[in-house]
Amino acid sequence: MIRNIQLKLSKSSSNKEDTISSSMYLNRIALLLFFVCSSFLVYAQTTVTGKVVDRDKNPVSSVTITEKGTQNGTSTGEDGTFSLMVNSNQSILVISAIGKKAIEVPASSSTLAAISLENDDTNIEEVLVVGYGTQSRETLTTAISKMDEKVLENVSFANPASALQGTVSGVRVQSTSGQPGAAPRVIIRGGTSINNPNGASPLYIIDGVIRSNMNDINADDIASMQVLKDAASTSIYGARGSNGVVIITTKSGDANRTKVEYSYNLTSSNVGKLYDVASARDYIYYSRVGAQVAERKVPGSINLLTQPSGFGTGNDLTNNTGFTTQYLTDANKHKLNEGWQSMADPTDPSKTIIFQETNWQDVLFQNSLSHDHHLAVSGGTDRATVNASIGYMKSDGIAITTFYDRISANLNSDLKVNDKLTVNGKMMYSYSTNNVVYSDSELFFRAANLAPTAKYTFEDGTLAPGQARNTGNPVYYLNKRDNKAATENLTLALSADWKPIEGLTVSPQVSLYKVTGDNYVFTHAYLNGVGNVNTTRPASSAYNKNMQTQADLIANYTKSYGNHTFDAMGGFSYFQRYIYGFNASGQGAATDLIPTLNASSTPVSVNGNETIFAMVGYFSRLNYNYAQKYLLSLTARYDGASNLGANYRWGFFPGVSVGWNMHKEDFFVNAQPYLSTLKIRASYGVNGNISGLSDFHAQGSYAVGSRYLDESAVQNTVLANPNLKWEQSKTLDFGVDLGFMDNRFNILFDYYNRRTDDLITNLTLPPSTGFSSISTNLGSLQNKGIELELNADILPRTSALGWNVGFNISTTKTKILKLPDNGTLNNRVGGVYVWNEASNGYAWMGGLQEGGRIGDFYGWQQDGIYRTDAEAANAPMDLTMPFADKTKYGGDVNYADLDRNDTLDTRDLTYLGNPYPTVTGGFSTSVNYKGFSFYARMDYTKGHTIYNYAKIFLSGLWAPNLNIPQEMIDRGWKQDGDMAERPQYIPGTANYSYWRGSAYHLSSTNSEFYEKGDFLTLREVTLAYQIPSAWTERFKLKNVRVNVTGSNLYYFTTYTGLNPEDGGTDQGRYPIPRNFSVGLKAAF
Amino acid sequence: MKKSIIKLGLLAAVLSFQTGCNTSLELDPTSVITNESFWKTEDDARGGLTSLYVKQRSLASLNLFIWGEARSEVMEWGKVSGTLDYDRYYLNTLSSVSAGPSWQAVYSAINDANLILKYVPNISFANEVNKNNILAQAYVSRAFLYFVLVKTWGEVPVRTEPVEGAEPEVIQKARSSQEEVFTLIKDDLEKANSLFSSYGFVKSRNYWSKAGVQALKADVYLWTAKRLNGGNADFQTALTACDEVAKADVSLLPNYADLFKYGNKNNKEVIMAIGNKEFEVGNNYFANLYSSRLPNEIDPTTNEIIGQTSGGMVWTVTDLVKNQFKDGDLRKAASVLDMPAPGFYPTLILKGRGTLISGVRYFTSDFVIYRYADVLLMKAEAKNGLGQDPSTEMNLVRQRAYGTAYEANKFVNGSTVQNDQAILQERLLELMFEGKRWWDLVRFHKAFELVPTLKGKADQKHLEYFPISEQVLSLEPLVEQTDGY
Repeated sequence: MIRNIQLKLSKSSSNKEDTISSSMYLNRIALLLFFVCSSFLVYAQTTVTGKVVDRDKNPVSSVTITEKGTQNGTSTGEDGTFSLMVNSNQSILVISAIGKKAIEVPASSSTLAAISLENDDTNIEEVLVVGYGTQSRETLTTAISKMDEKVLENVSFANPASALQGTVSGVRVQSTSGQPGAAPRVIIRGGTSINNPNGASPLYIIDGVIRSNMNDINADDIASMQVLKDAASTSIYGARGSNGVVIITTKSGDANRTKVEYSYNLTSSNVGKLYDVASARDYIYYSRVGAQVAERKVPGSINLLTQPSGFGTGNDLTNNTGFTTQYLTDANKHKLNEGWQSMADPTDPSKTIIFQETNWQDVLFQNSLSHDHHLAVSGGTDRATVNASIGYMKSDGIAITTFYDRISANLNSDLKVNDKLTVNGKMMYSYSTNNVVYSDSELFFRAANLAPTAKYTFEDGTLAPGQARNTGNPVYYLNKRDNKAATENLTLALSADWKPIEGLTVSPQVSLYKVTGDNYVFTHAYLNGVGNVNTTRPASSAYNKNMQTQADLIANYTKSYGNHTFDAMGGFSYFQRYIYGFNASGQGAATDLIPTLNASSTPVSVNGNETIFAMVGYFSRLNYNYAQKYLLSLTARYDGASNLGANYRWGFFPGVSVGWNMHKEDFFVNAQPYLSTLKIRASYGVNGNISGLSDFHAQGSYAVGSRYLDESAVQNTVLANPNLKWEQSKTLDFGVDLGFMDNRFNILFDYYNRRTDDLITNLTLPPSTGFSSISTNLGSLQNKGIELELNADILPRTSALGWNVGFNISTTKTKILKLPDNGTLNNRVGGVYVWNEASNGYAWMGGLQEGGRIGDFYGWQQDGIYRTDAEAANAPMDLTMPFADKTKYGGDVNYADLDRNDTLDTRDLTYLGNPYPTVTGGFSTSVNYKGFSFYARMDYTKGHTIYNYAKIFLSGLWAPNLNIPQEMIDRGWKQDGDMAERPQYIPGTANYSYWRGSAYHLSSTNSEFYEKGDFLTLREVTLAYQIPSAWTERFKLKNVRVNVTGSNLYYFTTYTGLNPEDGGTDQGRYPIPRNFSVGLKAAF
Repeated sequence: MKKSIIKLGLLAAVLSFQTGCNTSLELDPTSVITNESFWKTEDDARGGLTSLYVKQRSLASLNLFIWGEARSEVMEWGKVSGTLDYDRYYLNTLSSVSAGPSWQAVYSAINDANLILKYVPNISFANEVNKNNILAQAYVSRAFLYFVLVKTWGEVPVRTEPVEGAEPEVIQKARSSQEEVFTLIKDDLEKANSLFSSYGFVKSRNYWSKAGVQALKADVYLWTAKRLNGGNADFQTALTACDEVAKADVSLLPNYADLFKYGNKNNKEVIMAIGNKEFEVGNNYFANLYSSRLPNEIDPTTNEIIGQTSGGMVWTVTDLVKNQFKDGDLRKAASVLDMPAPGFYPTLILKGRGTLISGVRYFTSDFVIYRYADVLLMKAEAKNGLGQDPSTEMNLVRQRAYGTAYEANKFVNGSTVQNDQAILQERLLELMFEGKRWWDLVRFHKAFELVPTLKGKADQKHLEYFPISEQVLSLEPLVEQTDGY
């Protein structure tokens, strides 16, 4: 069931003895599933007995013994002995245990009395799936990382890409949203993009089928996940390999064992972090005081005090006002008995204000439950094997109304037609539905921070709307919307292995991968704030289909002459992607009852598209080794793509790698066993990249869709560039594999240096061209870094207690090497003209320039808060202040006048960080004792800066009726002489301390709001117990495992927003849920 | 033998596969049009022309108002919500940091015009008149767009060829002198005029026509007469152009308020208006001149006028200007509405309040670029510039404006300076909120005199133009900041 198809290929082409030395990882899973396995049918004729011992001759219990080719088996008892009836004494026994290498012993063997098993934990003997084939870790010369299967064991991943987070070196995974099923961002070695570094996602190969993501896959169906990082390994995927390749194989059936396995996971989730905002009382107090202060810059600001607003007293108990804040009167005093609070009006203490407090974050977030069921049946005979599984996941989000539901099915079957021909058929299917909120920013930033005095319900008990839909009562607005989105994924593949002569395997594969999506959205009639009845009832509906057809033909030839081993592969691949879709929207339905388009009375728009893309590739690889000491691998690919200009349509992408297994040399004997493995390897290769290029981009495009008075316009939207060519990245990689103490301690180290030339990039054009950008081959980018993976068995192998520790770290450094000549210094595009202390003059900084990084933040440096008006009188003239009167007061931010010219303007902007992480990695540890196992995993990301836009927005009240961050109250300036870290709270437009003008508010503001995103998270803690088979057998159950798991438990970070994982601007993010789950696995 | 058959078979399979695949790399798009396949037919020319109008409309949704009126004494903060940074206009605090809209959208429209002018002449039309009509509209649009640019920034880059590549010598251009820009504008106007065959409107008054060319011409020549020392020759050209406009089917509507009724688009007073239509385009600038909130208690009539809006009422008319309407001036009630709750709700601007559908207001009134009253006042201005009596035109406008109170408000010819002052004042009251006032103030050299936020700054002449933002400067190394900023 566990072995993947690639493994099978390598096995069939090698000798039978090789089976014993098969991959540790695969066996480890297989053994786990074998555990306490026994047969359904027993017709034994001979009884064999034996004992399993470790190196120190201590008995080993719970070891599985099966008769090869049957389902007949048993396990050792506490004393290490076993007894099994077998068909004959010619039978072969397979002896296996968790964490040990399986061995095969004839039933007649004399060694049965003291069978010893060796720990199976050396990376070196892994079999890795490389592009179009497999290779053992021993002979591998490129940089490939494999994910530890333990990661997939306990957590119920709605999107299994999350499992890569912190578990594989060189891979940066960021959970940008807590929406169930949402895809995390996966970037390998920093990606190769200048204008969208966060979009440089890798290529995914799932059972040989190329995909652009791994969404909607059931994690329980995954057999292995690994990442190809250097160019020599990815160049076999030529044109699309430059951002790295993730290879996933799904589970397949196992001959001669029938097994039914069921697993269930129940997860309870809650919101891990909330905004720290003011109480209603503080909100009213500081807002009213602040509104009076605002009057000095913005006459009329005190009108706010009497308006029907969050802190204004113009509200009443009718449905005409949306907030509870009002003066105490005879008519409303009864509310004080209904939980309303009262306070003196800070602007007129003779009056009493009453209000009701609502915690909107409590309203928006919930404790949610998720269920994940998975049932798998596998088995087969010598001729045919099958693995069939079905899964159902229902996952509710921690934000009300959000959910993700998925049904998945997987069928994988092999038929051995004859000794020379094996045929494999695969089907993978999933159907998922979800509901996402209409805007992350409007819910997770604005609604979550709605004024605490907003009415939750009106007096008649109906839900109140809050300020408006964009800052509203989440229960009201999220339930005024019907949103149904469904995605269907289908993969069908048929492949064969044909071995016409010894050593030659010809493997054709054809596949179809189809993703269809359909959705409708309908908004009921609603109050857009009190009094504004919106009966538009917009409805929209969309359908889209993405269909990939792929045909590959691979021929592999293996031959050995003495110590020389050759492995040659050649192949051809054809890929075509077809997209078709349409959508329509209407409005004016007479009722809320029908959410579909047929109810709309007015058509608003229609849209449709069809597009196609094709690629053809020829590739080959030659692996050579001499006695497994000297290793050489050559790869080459020649690719053509339909979306490039005819002159530059084809590209050639070679790769070469070499390795030296020093531990196989005779002279190395002296170093063993302390230094047990030493391999050095080096690789160099060229990759192409055309991601981000639309299908007919090179030809330019005129788009339709705009209308002028019912006539259709044809608009030149994309400038043609017939010279568009392949983006090329060249990567040099040096690696060392080290093993100590008989490989109890292992180290994998890689250094890489990648240079990407002819980047396909949107070159920003001068605005007077009328275009914002053109796609062109622009300049060069360098990424370099190191990757280190450590893995250690802390305790000796003889110990009954197993303790494994893993650690990995990856660094990425990005630099722009070259940009096209445009006559400016460093060929800069964009940027800011600021004071540069180093040169004691002004300079253009940031933007894109040679020698720089992408995405640098620039803002004004806060040097403190003026304590008094007198101190503020010496403030430099603030030219960004939009008022004619530029006086500053005590309680205002003291911005650094970096150029010391007594004015504050954009030349005083300074560097405040960069949104892209530079260091990522993780730790993990597992402890096994008898049936118990403990597993914990942490990961970290460092170097990214987050502009906390949501917080500065609230701190300056840039839109009405939002709450105040608690820090503005705790650390804000309140009266003359205060030493404060935050200015005085001044609501609205008068807040010049924070508002630096609309051209800048989204990018450049106050340095205090550019926060480090560095975090370390306790990603998973699991305690699992394998129930002894003796207890479960009477229920006809085997291999029963229960686990208790906590995931995303805690973020160690100084970041004050909800999610520290994503650099850049935080305008409200769906927070990452904290999960607690219970899992159960059982086999029949 | 068997082996070689297999080998041959494999080889044949690979080869046929390969040829099949190579040809399949030659793909053609279905849902977009490539540059190569466009500009072949009459329909292509019409589609390209429609794009040019779509882009002019995108300018009219906000930017034409910002450039043409926002900096004048007409506007101020609405005081009930934020400013959307519009304060930089009416407070006249523009700088390179806070420069207002980029010129990109204007050049995007110019590029459309340049594409038409490059490719349409080579397309064969069944009827040459239609081809000339399209070319004429492209010329007059380009003239209009450059006129907007030159009035806003003074010196601007001149592009007369479409941008079709990214070579630095094509995409980087320095600013040309105002004289050069006006040479192009005037040249384009002549070409447009000669290509239009008659004074009929093309399809409706939402497209440029021969009358539109003449109205624009009058405007252009008044500008060069007053600001570029064009003198009498230019005044005379402007005067002639105004007379030419009258040859089209245009007249003053009897009732001023009818001009802005949503159902009365394309009325006879309109010479050229950018057309807006609900579901085709978003709200125009009037959305932010309208209340988004209701007072608690409001009378049903007012409620009906307001309806539900999405606007933020970030700015409104100043008392200074509102109070300049004289008693009996019918234009006041058609232009502004004072709300019953003045502390909360500033004056509403009624001219562009669009239409109400399902409780939602769509601010899709047309943006009038030229209407006949404007042309009459330009004619008065030209006459006055030539020392002639502008009374006829002034009184045509006042007659309608004052109705029964006309006699008391009749215009009487005075000195040239007095007349100029009266004409400028009449334009303020007649064309308020129509995106004209700032440019009128600049043309009459009165900005520093009449705009309170510019008083005492007459020595900073550069303030008559807009600065160029740092973002634009950072992308256009050959472009230098507007002198003075």
